Amino acid sequence: MPSSATSSAATSTNNDINVSIEYFIARLKRRQIDDTYAMALETLQLLKRFISAARWNHVTELIEQIRQLADRLEKAQPAAFCCGNVIRRVLAVIRDELEEDLRDTMVTTAATTNTVAEPMISSMFNLLQKPEHQQQQQQQTQEQQQQQQQHKLQRNHKSKTDFRQVAIQGIKDLIDEITNIDDGIQQIAIDLIHDHEILLTPTPESKTVLKFLIKTRERSNRTFTVLVTEGFPNNTSKAHEFAKKLAQHNIETIIIPDSAVFALMSRVGKVIIGTKAVFINGGTIASASGVSLVCECAREFKTPVFAVAGLYKLSPLYPFDVEKLVEFGGSKKVLPHMDPHKRLDIINPITAYVPPENIDIYITNIGGFAPSFIYRIAWDNYKQVDVNVGQAP
Amino acid sequence: MSEFSITETYLKFLKEDPDMTMPIAAIESLVTLLRVKNPETAAEMINTIKSAANELTQSIPNSISLKAGCDIFMRFVLRNTHLYGDWENCKEHLIENGQLFVSRAKLTRDKVAQIGVDFISDDDIILVHGFSRAVYSLLKHAAEKFIRFRCVVTECRPTSQGEQLYSLLQEKGIPVIMVVDGAVGAVIDQVDKVFVGAEGVAESGGIINVVGTYSVGVLAQNARKPFYVVTECHKFVRMFPLSPDDLSMQGKSLDFTRKSDEEDQQEILRGPRLDYTAQEYITALITDLGVLTPSAVSEELIKMWYD
Amino acid sequence: MSQSEQEPPKELPAQDTPAADAASAESAEPNGAKKLSNKELKELKKREKAAKRSAKKQESGITIEQQQQQAQAKRDKKQQQREQQLQQQKEHQRKREEKNSQSKQKMKKSTLFGHLETTEERRATILALTSAISSSMASRITATGLMLPAVASALSGSQVPASSSLFSPIARSTSIASASNSNLAALSSTNGQADKSDITKTLAAVTLESEEFSVVPGIGSVIPKAIEHSFDSPQMVSSVKELLLNKDYIHPAIALLTSRIANYMIVGSIPRCIAMLEAFQIVVKDYQTPEGTTLSRNLTSYLSHQIDILKKARPLSVTMGNAIRWLKQEISLIDPSTPDKDAKQDLYEKIAQFAHEKIELADQLIIDNASHHVENGSTIVTYGSSKVLTDLLLHNAVDLEKSFRVIVVDSRPLFEGRKMADILRGHGVNVTYALITSLDDILRMSVDYVFLGAHSILSNGFLYSRVGTAMLAMSAKRRNIPVLVCCESLKFSQRVQLDSVTFNELADPDDLIAIDSKKLVDRDNVRGALLKQFSKERQEEKKKNSQEIKGNGKNTPNSPSAAATNSNPQEKTGKNILDGWQEIPSLNIVNILYDLTPPEYIKKIITEFGALPPSSVPVILREYKSSA
Repeated sequence: MPSSATSSAATSTNNDINVSIEYFIARLKRRQIDDTYAMALETLQLLKRFISAARWNHVTELIEQIRQLADRLEKAQPAAFCCGNVIRRVLAVIRDELEEDLRDTMVTTAATTNTVAEPMISSMFNLLQKPEHQQQQQQQTQEQQQQQQQHKLQRNHKSKTDFRQVAIQGIKDLIDEITNIDDGIQQIAIDLIHDHEILLTPTPESKTVLKFLIKTRERSNRTFTVLVTEGFPNNTSKAHEFAKKLAQHNIETIIIPDSAVFALMSRVGKVIIGTKAVFINGGTIASASGVSLVCECAREFKTPVFAVAGLYKLSPLYPFDVEKLVEFGGSKKVLPHMDPHKRLDIINPITAYVPPENIDIYITNIGGFAPSFIYRIAWDNYKQVDVNVGQAP
Repeated sequence: MSEFSITETYLKFLKEDPDMTMPIAAIESLVTLLRVKNPETAAEMINTIKSAANELTQSIPNSISLKAGCDIFMRFVLRNTHLYGDWENCKEHLIENGQLFVSRAKLTRDKVAQIGVDFISDDDIILVHGFSRAVYSLLKHAAEKFIRFRCVVTECRPTSQGEQLYSLLQEKGIPVIMVVDGAVGAVIDQVDKVFVGAEGVAESGGIINVVGTYSVGVLAQNARKPFYVVTECHKFVRMFPLSPDDLSMQGKSLDFTRKSDEEDQQEILRGPRLDYTAQEYITALITDLGVLTPSAVSEELIKMWYD
Repeated sequence: MSQSEQEPPKELPAQDTPAADAASAESAEPNGAKKLSNKELKELKKREKAAKRSAKKQESGITIEQQQQQAQAKRDKKQQQREQQLQQQKEHQRKREEKNSQSKQKMKKSTLFGHLETTEERRATILALTSAISSSMASRITATGLMLPAVASALSGSQVPASSSLFSPIARSTSIASASNSNLAALSSTNGQADKSDITKTLAAVTLESEEFSVVPGIGSVIPKAIEHSFDSPQMVSSVKELLLNKDYIHPAIALLTSRIANYMIVGSIPRCIAMLEAFQIVVKDYQTPEGTTLSRNLTSYLSHQIDILKKARPLSVTMGNAIRWLKQEISLIDPSTPDKDAKQDLYEKIAQFAHEKIELADQLIIDNASHHVENGSTIVTYGSSKVLTDLLLHNAVDLEKSFRVIVVDSRPLFEGRKMADILRGHGVNVTYALITSLDDILRMSVDYVFLGAHSILSNGFLYSRVGTAMLAMSAKRRNIPVLVCCESLKFSQRVQLDSVTFNELADPDDLIAIDSKKLVDRDNVRGALLKQFSKERQEEKKKNSQEIKGNGKNTPNSPSAAATNSNPQEKTGKNILDGWQEIPSLNIVNILYDLTPPEYIKKIITEFGALPPSSVPVILREYKSSA
């Protein structure tokens, strides 16, 4: 066991890691990490330390530990989807490796007659499958026992796959991917804008959108106008800063109040939105109230809406209940002074859910996809068993 | 042993077990066929199944989901014989495990219910059109989980599916009312979501179901209410209808030819018993494979048929 | 004293020629004026100093001839220096102008709404006008203007009141007159009695100014410099000139109304219309028919002058337009033989009756018509603030004792909905207040009706209303929530329009700069803007001065009092991100006031004639026209 050597050191690092997990959770709960990008990276760093400190006998234990961590983070801040997303990605990497490993060991041990089924092509055959579900598990446990026996005999076999190494490499790859997301998106998205086009963006907090617009202006000699909605009350200062930055990069920028979206939509060529989380049905959560409305307007005018999203924002969850997904803030920003005797009910949503029918295309760092195809991209990167980290598999 | 009739076997299966769906019955019949005929070679086995499946689909008027069952069975056999060459093994497996498939089909429904229960939340008013075991098991499951919801059931003429569902739901203590089919438009605004089952799920992700489903789908789309299809994945079928009445086995949807007066008297009601609801009206399909968008259905089918 | 009297006339031509040359040279470039006037002032100051010095020298016993010689010698020297300076300054100016014109072209108007009149333009017009009408006080809002009395006080302490009183006739005469020479003559004749030295000073100022502004004769002196550049289109200039020429006709009640409307103290098309009708009642009452014409002929044109300025506050609302059309028709119908007194009384009553019938009674009928939609236990969404809707909901809540829930949707920057929410809440209605960005979530809360007010309904069935209305109507329609519009038939318009961009009203972009939820009126917007302009101007002025001082190497220190006022710290504007957005050439803020809701989003329009679909608007219009 790899941990045996470091067991004494592990206890202290274990405490360390627990402290930083608690700290991270506390900050999540207080919404001190606003930016999904930072949140994803921080989660990965945390996970890296967690895995380095973790001890396990079999990989399944490691997977279980990671799932528990993911569950804790998700419970701490259910709206912070990207924490769960990146952890699930790492889990998928480990599981892939595990499968590979199993197959390898099977080959090497030149296993028994009933091999692990015929490679399943379609899950539709579930019905007619040989009842190897139980068998398979028996097989697996047998194999595990065999493996363990073998490991005792020949150590080098086990070390063939060092899961700690695999997981940490997976995390490193993921961090690389996340930090390079903007480039990937820009490559694809630039070609979607033509000269003298009028664009509208209701998500000024999205750095991806900002970078992409600036890059487009710099790299291609296209001039275009960007309308920026204010996103009052929660996003106005961001919107103003966003507009100022764009204008400083010599992009024609017009700030409009949220109410003027409909009036101007007929002149808009494309709507660009940043996203916070993308669900497998192709819907998205945007971190500014009013985005859903803008997209609805665009749909009404048949204006194309394109959403930019890094792959890590893809969530394997299905938005069952929209009302549970949208977060609400305090009333202070909507109505700062209220007569205490005549209190009004105030609604202040801070995020918005955009249904898939109001989005035309997603530009991710690995390509552009229609909302109806997002489910496939999600299943390429996640394992179905990990969707509900809270439940026992 | 008298001459084996696939159709009779099929009908017998359906009669014996009210819980059995058509595709399962079809599969069971084919298994029985294999058991009876016990083909000697792979080619013989394939041919036997092929002809039997053909016969079955020809003889049964409402053959959509039946066809789905035959298709899967056929494909499974073909795969095993062609790709892996262990047809003998496969045959034995099939013959031995007939009962298993039936029980699995029921399990599948439970799985659908488990997956779909998230779609029902407290205070929902759910419109159901037609009787589907999958929909019923979902509603039952939700009620057992103490979700408080109410149901509106359509009459679903000319079948008595509405009444069937109505009494089952009432038995379960779920508040339910029944409306005539024509009232869907009038009540759709008060409804939160629509659930329907499916006879078959076409390659496009659209569904073939009891007549009226299309109208409900259009009305739901118009009112922007989510329209969910609850179905097991063995109902996915290789068809691609183009319009609501583009279902070949039904014949002409409007048949004006006059029959003898007597017949006319007996059967005033003509027209299709099934219709096709295109994928743009469907919000999501709740299946045992998970919650699928219509486009995911075609992916599953593509994976099954092209390799 | 007799010496100093003689001196200035001689001095004037000699000293002014370079300045005049410069002025004429710069007159080709419209922006040159700003800089020069400042220089002129200094000259003026210097001249005064010279006069004082000569007076002192005279006292100390130096002969007049000597003085004159000395003065002449000094003057020659100075003239040379000045010519050099002028060269330098011209170059400075040219550079600055180039910069200015560049930024100006880009920042002024957004590409989409270039065809619409901006608030800045309107405000400039009003400012020009009010300053022309009310007093010379306003004219001194400019940086240079303020310095005039400051300089005067520094030089001739006790004469301040005299000189300041002198400014007003000058301001007026310059504003009216186009030729400076005739103006001068007129002035000197009317003010013959006043202190001679002061006259010459002011005369000098007048000549200089009137020559400076030869491009726009007469306007420049009364319009604050900062706003001057708004007048770059010839149409603007001519319209302003016309207004200024007719300024004497403007009734104070209208002037007051204009400023209140311009400051958004009266908002909403119905309140504006009522206020206008009330003002017209006063105007009619005070009206005196001039000799040689009849009331029915002259009153219309008299009213037109009032309307011209009213238009400059904000574009007339449709209700106002309809009311004016009606009033003019009524005037034209008056029999010329009717004695003025009777006719005036008659009109006065008719206006009152019109307001009563078309607005109050109509509202009553609308409320009766719409009340059955307000059901017990229902949820109603409204947008902004509408008088008739407030009345409707109050009537149902208070008189009919229904219990229902109202969701008031509001938007930046006017926050009109707060007024409505407060009124309703004050009467115990269950009110939810939300902003337009949260529309998605509001409409998810089982809403039964959306009630909307209107600014106007166009003859193609489009609803022209507060910006944001269309969005609400659209989302409601998409969720199958009926959208009802309550609207007096007075608001029906013959106009057709297809989208919100072609015709709209631009509000002040600066309203969107502050990121807070404060109401516009609370922010003391208009005056604040002027103040900001002023302080900005002062800053520029200061910069320019210091540059000049450096450039000249010659010490002409500002009078201490002016310096003191100069060092006014930055205004309390806070630190908004967008402060100074005008400086960024490619940044623009669009703040439109209205939008257009297509008829397919509207279920029905409730008027005093009953409920009708949007397609029936032209029917009502025809009926209404024939009946009126």
